[in-house]
Amino acid sequence: MRHTLRRARHRAACWPIAAYAALALAGCTDVRQPAGQQTAGPADVGGTMVVATPAEPTTMLPALQGTIIEKEITDLLFDRLADIGNDLNTVGDKGFVPQLAERWDWGPDSTWIAFHLNPKARWHDGVPVRASDVRYSVQLIKDPTFGSPALPLVTNIDSVSVRDSLTAVAYFHRHTPEQFYDLVYQVSIVPEHVLHNTPPAQLKTAEVARRGIGSGRFRLVHWEPGKRIELVADTANYRGRAKLDRIVYTPTPDFNTAVTRLFSGDADFFEQLRPENLARLSGDTARRAVAYSSLQYAYVAFNTTDPAHRGLPHPIFGDRAVRRALTMAVDRRAMLHNVFDTLGLALYGPFPRAMPVADTTLPQLPYDTVRARAVLDSAGWIAGTDGIRVKNGRRLEFSLTSPVSSAARHQYAVLLQNALRRVGASVKIDEVDFGGFLAKQSGRTFDAELALYGTDPSVSGFKQSWSTAGVGPDGSNFPSYSNPTVDALLDSATTTFDPARTRAYARRAFETIIEDAPGIWLYEPPTIAGIHRRIHTTPMRADAYWAGMADWWIPASERTARDRIGLRPTP
Amino acid sequence: MRRYVAGRLLQAAIVILLVTTVTFVLVHLAPGDPIAVALERPGVTESVRQQWRAEFGLDRPIAEQYVRWLGNAARGELGFSFSFRRPVRDVIADALPRTVLLVGLALVLSFAVGIVAAVLQSERPDGPRDRWIGRVLLVLYSMPDFWLALVVLLVFAYRVPLFPPSGIVDPVLHDYLPPGGRALDRLRHLVLPVSTLTLLSTAAIARYQRSALVEVMPSDWMRTALAKGLSWRRAVRRHALRNALLPSITLAGLYLPALAAGSLFVEKVFSWPGMGLVTANAIGARDYPLVTAGVLVTSVAVALGSLVADLAAAIADPRIRVR
Repeated sequence: MRHTLRRARHRAACWPIAAYAALALAGCTDVRQPAGQQTAGPADVGGTMVVATPAEPTTMLPALQGTIIEKEITDLLFDRLADIGNDLNTVGDKGFVPQLAERWDWGPDSTWIAFHLNPKARWHDGVPVRASDVRYSVQLIKDPTFGSPALPLVTNIDSVSVRDSLTAVAYFHRHTPEQFYDLVYQVSIVPEHVLHNTPPAQLKTAEVARRGIGSGRFRLVHWEPGKRIELVADTANYRGRAKLDRIVYTPTPDFNTAVTRLFSGDADFFEQLRPENLARLSGDTARRAVAYSSLQYAYVAFNTTDPAHRGLPHPIFGDRAVRRALTMAVDRRAMLHNVFDTLGLALYGPFPRAMPVADTTLPQLPYDTVRARAVLDSAGWIAGTDGIRVKNGRRLEFSLTSPVSSAARHQYAVLLQNALRRVGASVKIDEVDFGGFLAKQSGRTFDAELALYGTDPSVSGFKQSWSTAGVGPDGSNFPSYSNPTVDALLDSATTTFDPARTRAYARRAFETIIEDAPGIWLYEPPTIAGIHRRIHTTPMRADAYWAGMADWWIPASERTARDRIGLRPTP
Repeated sequence: MRRYVAGRLLQAAIVILLVTTVTFVLVHLAPGDPIAVALERPGVTESVRQQWRAEFGLDRPIAEQYVRWLGNAARGELGFSFSFRRPVRDVIADALPRTVLLVGLALVLSFAVGIVAAVLQSERPDGPRDRWIGRVLLVLYSMPDFWLALVVLLVFAYRVPLFPPSGIVDPVLHDYLPPGGRALDRLRHLVLPVSTLTLLSTAAIARYQRSALVEVMPSDWMRTALAKGLSWRRAVRRHALRNALLPSITLAGLYLPALAAGSLFVEKVFSWPGMGLVTANAIGARDYPLVTAGVLVTSVAVALGSLVADLAAAIADPRIRVR
């Protein structure tokens, strides 16, 4: 057994290497290896990048964004006071990079922070950015009539006052390790003079929420629904103009069409290539693949509460021993290889690798079908005549909900069905459309589901997913997993100011969760973007690959017709 | 005639009311809701979603929502689209002309090509040309639309990149082109989706038209026309086609609603932001007002299409003219 585990651990260490070797063979670049990174020269300013995007935003107001594409575009248009660093540290202000605030001072008791704004900062309409804008932005998010999705994330912020036109002072209810992160990461600063005439409650439907007047290095010039969203470099930006002249987002809802657009040169960037698309890139002199980290992870969530009788334990998954047995019945590595070949990344617990507190050395439940069967036997689940186990007249049978739109999860569902059948569990695959999947997830009306969850980098975000506090409808603890030990460890992790202790507490919490097996940890989805070779990228941040997009560049010698338009206004 | 038309319009109004009611109920019964999809990002809490539902009246009983929708629709107010965060009227005003252009062009071409193919086939029924054209048409008729669209896309936009793969115009260069260049750009973007739709529709039209032509060819009046010295083609154009037009008129009536409904798969594959794509996305996003409005527009087109077809058939064929 020990030998098997060691071999598994060795293979685990080799897997990422194999994956990147495969990418390299396919002519790809791994942005996590910055060695030899080129930088843009003064002449390398200009060019156009066309992005094929599967969805379209519905708002240009960051405080209202509820989807990834809305976050991406509003992040490019609107600045924050400061931005999180590449290490994604969320404790204190270490690693945070100044944006609108050129510096900040902590109050003596750390319950307030004074942000000193960059006097050169201007909105895209030319009006200077002032401290009153910071105050308005926080007030707007905290206004209950506004209904900002970010409201629950800023509860520790009490208020913002204006010391002078360039100094905003943020007051907090409590001094917490993530108070700085709570303010600067969750609140993009919006222009008071543009929005204040519209009552907050009406902003959801107001035309002004579509104008996108921000202070970012790109500004919005065109938004034709269904056709294109055009951002151009803000040439007078206080942080320097973006290196690209223009980014054009073009909604392309069909995956195959998006890939064809990339390979035909119609689009320059598509962020969601699938492993099977990489073969086409070998020998492609015009395009390359870029693998980047993300904060997503996929797992089978076992609903520990009975969907038919809320408050009661699930008749199957309420039993920890059964969950552990089902986990041990699954050969996760073989499945990963089956679905993603060498490009999948194994998941070691309820956290992606890019999370600052991630720990891939945690002990795992082994793949051991003999032990799985023994555990099920001892839990009272005895094999019936058809091979399916039965306990007190109930068959070991449950549904596995998966969104029909995900090819990878469909494959996993079939593989899991086969694997669990071998230990006497009958799985009914329940494929629903995305809307139906979300409904089942938020209502906790599933038995087990193939969840793909995108966490934020903070431990407090993790707490929402795995502590008892996240069990209710406002949390994202979809399995309704509850363990007081984990709650205590996560409380400690989110209240200590020592990053090393945060990691230690988080590790113990992860260990406990893995032992309790509220889910089967499957994979981190391979995030591979296809990009035209003339476009040079900077390292992509796991929480937002677009964070450095204003510094992507196209060398003057490699420009095409669409790059040479320049910044002429649209006729 | 007026009474007939008034009666048909009344029938159409009842059908439209029934169809939109059923759609309204069904789409509300489907699991999920527009707010869950609009705020799907992790970290958004259920209480925030609940607040949005209350603001948009989605927490009210379905009967109350329906009565409110019906009242607004009667005043021409189709509601607010959750997936676009724009008035539904504006969304449809953008999408409908795009679909009319795409499907309208495809229908004109389909009928032109279909009728020509039928004429060529009917010259010598069961001859080699008839058999070959028939086989080709059968293959086209059997093809699933999404599959044909993908094949056309892969072949003519990727393998042999003659035409742009998607969209209505070049997203970057179009605005900077001279007027002639813009027209050409628009035409180039029309080629693949229009060709796909044309290929898909031509087969049915040709097959119906061929049958009708083959039926009228042995008629006495055709024999007389040929005996008078008219060329075969002229006789077909002047006499046979006119007498064999009924199937095409009926088909035209059936196809007319597509002008409003669009073609879901072709629009999706070619990212053509018309009614088909908008409605399909709205269904996925549980955008109740947009789905219902899309169905309303389509059902109006169906009712009008069948009325126009009946009237046209009556004009073309005195035997079925309404007294």
